[in-house]
Amino acid sequence: MVFQHLFKRRGIQVAVLLLCLFLSACTSSTTPPTTSNNSTPSGGSPVQAKPPTIRVPAFSSGEQIAPTVKVLASVDPTVIVQFPLFPASIKSLFPDASALVTVIQGNPQTNDFDTVIVDVQKMPPNQKFTVFFTELSARPFGHAEYVGDLITREDGSGESIFHLIAFVAFAADARQSTVTSQDQSGSASGIQLEHVGLWFDGIAAARQVLHDPGLAGTPFDGGGGVLHAGPQALTDGQTLPVI
Amino acid sequence: MQSVRRFLLSSPLLLLLLLLGASIQSTALAATAPPSIAKKSIIQVNPEANRLRQAVRSGKLAPTVRVLDSLPPTTIIQFPLVPSGIKNAFPQATGLVTMIRGDRNNAIADTIIVDVQHMPPNITFTIFFIELANKPFGNVEYVADLTTRNDGSGETIFQAIAFVAFAMDARHPGTSQDGQEGTTSGTNLEHLGMWFSSLKDAQAALQDNTLKGTIFDGGNPPLHAGPQAMTDGQIAPVF
Repeated sequence: MVFQHLFKRRGIQVAVLLLCLFLSACTSSTTPPTTSNNSTPSGGSPVQAKPPTIRVPAFSSGEQIAPTVKVLASVDPTVIVQFPLFPASIKSLFPDASALVTVIQGNPQTNDFDTVIVDVQKMPPNQKFTVFFTELSARPFGHAEYVGDLITREDGSGESIFHLIAFVAFAADARQSTVTSQDQSGSASGIQLEHVGLWFDGIAAARQVLHDPGLAGTPFDGGGGVLHAGPQALTDGQTLPVI
Repeated sequence: MQSVRRFLLSSPLLLLLLLLGASIQSTALAATAPPSIAKKSIIQVNPEANRLRQAVRSGKLAPTVRVLDSLPPTTIIQFPLVPSGIKNAFPQATGLVTMIRGDRNNAIADTIIVDVQHMPPNITFTIFFIELANKPFGNVEYVADLTTRNDGSGETIFQAIAFVAFAMDARHPGTSQDGQEGTTSGTNLEHLGMWFSSLKDAQAALQDNTLKGTIFDGGNPPLHAGPQAMTDGQIAPVF
């Protein structure tokens, strides 16, 4: 009787043990294998890679660059430049508005496009601005290329990232193929677009924000409605090129 | 009698084991399987897509443009590119352009995907938005490059303003008719083409040393680009 009771209890213990083993096996089969921090993909000893050398790349061999442009020290072959934007029409109402433009070129020989990052602070809140590459940073601006939009948040900050040709952006009418201008690389076809500016994308919004119902519309937005954009809000403010 | 009793004693345990096993297996399967769609998405009317389809029907957009069945507020169009300057040497060359806009009112840029096949291999091409699909091309905007692989295929993806792209000189911007938007400032750029970025590459690939340089690449020197390789080939706008 005692043996029988012990046998029963032992049977239950064995079953519980089996259940634990079963659960453990199931859990481990669904857990992805972990790798040691020291191992390499090939299983060899860890590679003690040297940090790559940083250099300040040559930027602009053909013309002078604006003094506000900072060419960052970066790993070859990348080229990264940064420059600030300053308030234009919004200066009196938003004197602390600021912006930083970062332009990145992966490999000048093979890249398909550049990356342009525009960060703004203390701008009119909840407003949409258009971003243009222009021939001139101030009026009359000259030739212009519409590259993207930026919408500010409640606190007046905002950010946009675009992937397109920036360092060698140019405007041209192919019917006049002999027109040339100076680029960072020397003489180039077309009219170089080497400045960046932001515009109010709507004249109604600009009039409201700037408390000026007399503001005239501008062409600095795409789409229906002639001259439906507002005035320039931010400019690089330079005579010499920034990109 | 004893065997029946033993079975009755052990059966709950067996049942428990079976239930646990099944439960763990289903949990493991659910973790590895892709998430299933609980409900079929409700088909929504996309007014922007309908507007563009109407533009195609009325001839305001080229007949080669396909407006995809996307959910609002997205707009997705596709149109082919056909060989122009490379037609004789690479008659099978094809290109497909996909343009995506998130929200007409709030998108900060459009996404453009250009896929090509059977093109001259290992060559860099420039991509331009242009006023006219064919010569003299008119006003142009340089937007990106595409470098083909060894098999003549290639792809590039970039983000820029496409659906309302335009060129202008702010000193006298003028106006033009946009295929979708009506009268707008500047000159609308509603076509897309690809050019050899290097005249030398073009001369070698097309075995024609008489080819002349064109403006269709940025940087020094002037007229260092080659001829147009691919075009949308349409008179009506494609975007």
